Formats: sequence, C-alpha cells, structure tokens
Amino acid sequence: MALTLASLPARAATADLYGPKAADAVKGGTLTFGSLVEPPGLDPYHQAADGRIRFTVLMYQGLFYESETGEAMPLLASGYEVSPDGLVYTIKLREGVKFHTGQPMTAKDVAYSYNYLRDPKNGSPGAGDLTLISSIDAVDDGTVRITLSKPNGALPMTLGNKYGGVVPAGYFDAADAKQAFNTKSVGTGPYKLAEFKPNSHLALVKNDAYWEEGAPYLDRINILFIPNSASLIVALRNKRVDLALLTRPQDIQQVVKAPGLVMERWPSLNQKALDLGSELSPLGDPRVRQAIALSIDKDEIMRASVGGYGKVIGTMVPAMQDAWGAPLDQLANQKVDIEKAKKLLAEAGHSNLNLTLTTINGYDWMDPAAVTMKQQLARAGINLNIQRVDLGVWIKNFQSKQMGFTFNDWATQPDPHLLFYRHFHKAPEGADFRNWNNAEASALLDQGLGETDQAKRKTIYVDFQKILADSVPTVMLFSADHVSVRNENVMNYQQHPTGWFFGLARAYIKK
Amino acid sequence: MGGYLARRLAASAVTAFVASIAVFLIVRAVPGDVVAQMLGQVSDPQAAASLRGFLGLDQPVWIQYGRWISAALSGDLGISWTGGRAVGPAVFDAFLVTLEIGLLTLALATIVGVPLGIISGIYEGRWPDNLIQIFNLLGLAAPVFWTGLMLLVAVSSFAGWSPPLIYTSPTESLWENLSILMLPILSLGLLQAAAYSQFVRQNVVTSLNQDYVRTARAKGVTIRILFFKHILKNILIPLITFMGLVLVQILGGVVIVETLFSIPGLGRLLISAIETRDYPMLQGALLVVVVTAMAVNLIIDLLYSVIDPRVRLS
Repeated sequence: MALTLASLPARAATADLYGPKAADAVKGGTLTFGSLVEPPGLDPYHQAADGRIRFTVLMYQGLFYESETGEAMPLLASGYEVSPDGLVYTIKLREGVKFHTGQPMTAKDVAYSYNYLRDPKNGSPGAGDLTLISSIDAVDDGTVRITLSKPNGALPMTLGNKYGGVVPAGYFDAADAKQAFNTKSVGTGPYKLAEFKPNSHLALVKNDAYWEEGAPYLDRINILFIPNSASLIVALRNKRVDLALLTRPQDIQQVVKAPGLVMERWPSLNQKALDLGSELSPLGDPRVRQAIALSIDKDEIMRASVGGYGKVIGTMVPAMQDAWGAPLDQLANQKVDIEKAKKLLAEAGHSNLNLTLTTINGYDWMDPAAVTMKQQLARAGINLNIQRVDLGVWIKNFQSKQMGFTFNDWATQPDPHLLFYRHFHKAPEGADFRNWNNAEASALLDQGLGETDQAKRKTIYVDFQKILADSVPTVMLFSADHVSVRNENVMNYQQHPTGWFFGLARAYIKK
Repeated sequence: MGGYLARRLAASAVTAFVASIAVFLIVRAVPGDVVAQMLGQVSDPQAAASLRGFLGLDQPVWIQYGRWISAALSGDLGISWTGGRAVGPAVFDAFLVTLEIGLLTLALATIVGVPLGIISGIYEGRWPDNLIQIFNLLGLAAPVFWTGLMLLVAVSSFAGWSPPLIYTSPTESLWENLSILMLPILSLGLLQAAAYSQFVRQNVVTSLNQDYVRTARAKGVTIRILFFKHILKNILIPLITFMGLVLVQILGGVVIVETLFSIPGLGRLLISAIETRDYPMLQGALLVVVVTAMAVNLIIDLLYSVIDPRVRLS
C-alpha cells in the first residue's frame, strides 16, 4: 500500500498543546475555579452537555486535539498517514502514555474505545459523527488503522476530545461502568478525578504519571459549582475563587476594576444567530430572507445584548476566521441597505410583513437583541412580534424542523465540516434544520467532506459560505467572547475557544 | 391513641400513593423533550431512539409508573439519568442538609419571634410595640432572595468575608458548618421571625381581652403569673399549628437560599433536576418533600393531644 504523508499542521508541536508551557512556572498549589455551569455527570461517552465536556477534557484524551486556531493536532497520536484514496488512516500512537489506573495505553485500548463510541447500540451521542468508519483495528501495540467507507477530511477533528476519550480495553464490561465515571477517572489526561459532589464541587488532582514532560503545574483544582453570578462575584472579590468565566456584561462590569482581579477576553466558537426556517411563510422566498439580512445592524444588536463583549461575524466564528472563514468583503448581505430591503420585499409582494420571532427563556442576550431588531426591521416595514419559549420546547421545534423565525445560540468544534454539514446539508444526509434544501450548497459540503488537503478544503468552504451569505438560511450575528476573570496570582491561563478548560493544564499560581 | 395513629398512617399511605401518581405525571408534564434536551440540538435520531429505549421512555406511561413505584416501595428510587448516581442516597444526603437549615431557621425564628410577639402584645399601642411592628413589616415585606443577597453583599463589603463554598457537614466540623449556614439561616429566619412575632402578638392581644383574664386581673393576679399560667397555654395550640406552616414555608424558601449560597440541599437538587429534566431525581426529591410535609402535619396533630388533653385522638 502506498502511503502519503498527510499535511500536518505547521504548529503540531507538543509544546503548543493546551497552550504554551511556562518556562518559569511555579509547581504545586491548589486553584479554585468557580463555575456557573455544572456537569450533569462525568461520563465522556454518554453525557452530551457542554458543562460535562468543559471539565472532562482534563481527564480524558482523544487521538487529536482541537487547536485554538482550528487545526487538528495529534494528542494521543504522534502522527498519521492517509492512503491516496483517503480511506485508510494509519495512526502512530504516542509512546509512554499511561492510564490513571497505571496500566500502559496500547493500540488495543484505542481501537476498543473508538469502536465502543461508534457502535450505535451503546447510545453515545458521538456515534453519529463516526458513521463513515467501517473498521478500527490495532495493527501493533503502537499503531491503529482506521478504514472509512468514504473519504472524510474532518476525521482527525472528529477523533478529538468532545466525545469518548481513550479508556482501558474492556472498561464497559463492568455493569456499573457508566456510573463509575463519576467516582474514578480512567483516562490519560493531566488530571485525575479526586471527588465529584453534584450541586457542590468537583476536585481534580495532578496525574503524576502524565506523559507530557513537566506538566501540569497545579497539584489540585477545586471546581466549585456556584449557580448564581451574584455569589460568584462576591467569591471572586473575596478570593474564595481564583478563576471564573463570566457571561453577562453587567457581571463583568462589577469585577472589571476590582483590585487584584484581572479580566481577559478570548475569541470563541460561539455564534449568536438568527435562523430563518423556510417552512414558515414567507421565509421560503429568498428575497424576503435577503431583505431581513439587509435590515439588520449586527453591531448595534451585539452592543445592546452583550455590551460589546463580543465580535460581529460574517459566516464564521472569530476563532476559525483565519483558518476557514470567507473574507467579509466577499460576502453578500452584510451591510445595512434599507432601500434595497424594501425593494426586495415589494418584489416578493410583502410590503407590510408581520413576523414572529422566537426567543428562549434563560438566554439573557436574546431579550435586548429582540427589541433592538424589532426597531431595525421596522425601518424596512417589517413588524416584529416576540414570543419566548422554554428551551425544551425550542429544541423540540428545532429538531422537528419547525423552528420558524428564531434566535439561536450555538458552538461547535473548530472544523468547517462539523460546523456546517449537519445543519445545512439537505436531508437525509444532513438534518437541514432550516428546510433550506439547497443543492449547490450540499454539493460543496460533500466535496469538502471528501477532501483531505487542508488548502483545498478551505477554498471549498469559502465558496459554501458565499452561498450561505447570499441565500440567508441563517444570519450569523455575532460571537460572544469568553471572558475570564482571574486572581492576579493565577498565571499562564488561556481560554480555549470551545469554552473547554484545556487551559487549566497550563495554569499555575505565582507565590 | 394507637388506633388513631394506625388510621392516620393508613390515610397518609393513601395520600402518599395519590401524591406519587401526581408527582409522576407532573414531572412528565414539564414541556420539552427530555431526550432532545439531554443530547443537545444537533443530536442523531438513532442515538435519540436508543437513549429513549434505554431510559424506558418508549413504554406507555402507566408501565413506567408501575416500574418506578414498585421499585420505590422496595426502597429503590432508581438511578439519576444525568449524573448516573443512585437517587435514594443523593436525595437523603441533600435532605439532611435542608433539614438542618430548616430546624435551625425554625429555632432562630422561634427564639426571636415569640418573645418579640409577646412583648409587642403586652405593650400593645405603646413604643415597644411600634418598634417591633416596624421590624415585622420589614421582615414580611422583604423577599428572601433580596435579604440573602443584601446580607451577602453587606458582609462581603464591610467585613471582607463571605461564606466558604464547599459544604462541610456538622459532624466534620461544626464551626465550618455553621459559618456556611449562618447567612442563609439568618436571611430565612428574619422573615419567619417577623411572621411569628406578628402571629404571637395577635394571639396575646386577643387573650388579654378575654373575660377570664379580666376577672383574674380584677382578683389581683399579677400579669407575669397570668401570662405563664394561662395565656401561654392558650396560645400554644395555634402556635404549634403555625410552626408547622412555617416549617413547610421554610422548605420553600430553602430553594432560594440554597441556590444563592451554593448549598447542596434538597432545594438545589430540585432546581438542577428540573433544569436537566432528570425525571428519577425529580420524582425522588418531590416524593421526599411530600412525605416530609405529611410527617410534619402528623407530628403536629399528635402534639395537640400532648398539649391539650381535651383534644382526643380517638
């Protein structure tokens, strides 16, 4: 079999995993992290909540790491080769990796873990991403071979850390294996589980047998679940908490000038979007959708709803713009043009349009955004009504493709296939939640999936984004920054764009 | 007494059974698809179907109920869907925390509220009464979340101190435990003390105006003897009834203070179970709340006969 070396990201050096190492890091100590979000459980295979993923990435590792610039970098893999037809990935494993149980990790464990993950019988929400895999085999102790039924350029990113993580072969044979994740960690990550008390805290301790030389620095991380931001702010000010992420602008304002605290902003993969479901008349008419896009001042909405702690976007989130985004000047319908909007509406025969926008209870940014947008759309002669629904109701509408005209708030892994395919590819291959049914866009998404060359992939996805901006099944409004607030003694912490806490594996406390 | 107790317990069992059905149905009436919520918005239909089957949600509701109640009767409240932990022990641990808050709040409210109410009643219309009435009004008007937040912010700004955030049980360290619970108990207790004080004042005023009191005073009985020998006895029965109401009210207020002060009690458990649509946890926690309220009522009824021999429990 002829093998070609796949194009590895230029920055694929160990030192860059999880952010830069610190030359003068102080070792030891306990960091107290305050979290508004609580993981419903720690099972990396079956628990889909983002609140789970954020913390389990410190305990469980996949073959690849989703770098903050949107590249898949080898993590438990040390390198890989792809066959010329793009169907066979031969992955070399990193040497000297041990599980938290003390036993060494081999290819058998890797094959077992990913085979468990992709088997639909095991009920993992991550299984759907891996359906293109036809087999995973251990070639020898240090090599795994993954065979696909169709080429998949996003495979390395999909083998990252969102679902699963390599565990010892046979782990799930035990009847209580799923529950056991909450009491004992069995991954390969820099931190081990010490204690998990729901509605209270999660404690992690340093993995002394961790494979990365000299890392991590902290002996222990106590993660406190603090369900309301007023208490979290008091705790930050009183130094009961060393580090936290805040989301509401009014909360950030309260600590921004507090002595001894440092606020930092980081680009994210979050996107606040306005979705236009074609099933709702007259949103099936592209002219109506374009008119709406042309009436919207994204910057004004962003300032009204997150107080400026964000970034206006075109069709790509800020953390992925350099690697995968289409240049903003090449995208249609990005600037306000009320005259053109009115003209399009008149052409479509909807001069006095009445629309109902759905917002979700508990999403603070949506209320001011909705009021601001009501005023903006009024200029083009569109009357906006606003209705609020519970998250459960909203998800049900979304999944049954009855979303109508709604705000949305989502994030993804940093890869364009994972970002776009399921949302925008025609059914049945994609879910096409917005009933967009665009053949040209779907063809590009197929092409992007089959391509493994990163430069060619980018060209394909840029073309896709141009169609997205022109046809407007969705208006990507802005991306909220991750805002971290730390005690000034906490050093070298970087917030990963996913919102996951990889950065805790690089943080240390200055004495 | 024995027969009365047996009948009351039998009636309670029937109530608990009806309540268990209500709890089971109410939990399922919360809008939204639990599986969709667990898997997130971009979930795979196959994964959703498999999870639905795994959780038993593909069965008719009455079969789901039958499975749950028969397991519950043998002491097994099931496994939490989200956390994967056993519901019984989780609810029990949280209940102990809430019970401690509830009893300490009740104690605080009684110790502060009853004397204030008595003083207020005795000095009706004079300055001590007016002063106490102001306290009562403020206490009753201020919502618990506001009092709690203000206490937290005030203590933090003036003393630079805020309660520890990892819960410690009283058996581990009583001091640490009390420093965690002090502010929540204070914020709940102030409200209930005001309610107590208002209630006791009303009863004292009414008693003082009754014929037997006037007669006794005309005969020269001192107000102190009169109060402790007669009036206090007469207000004990309504006071005990009121105490039961207060305890149930405290259980409601606990949801707020536990969330505000990050305390792992039953209130916070309920909120997080509702948010994640964790049916087994929610059912277990609600059942404990219902049983507790019934137990409180039963205990109060039994106390009546102890305090007032005229109340016959047969």
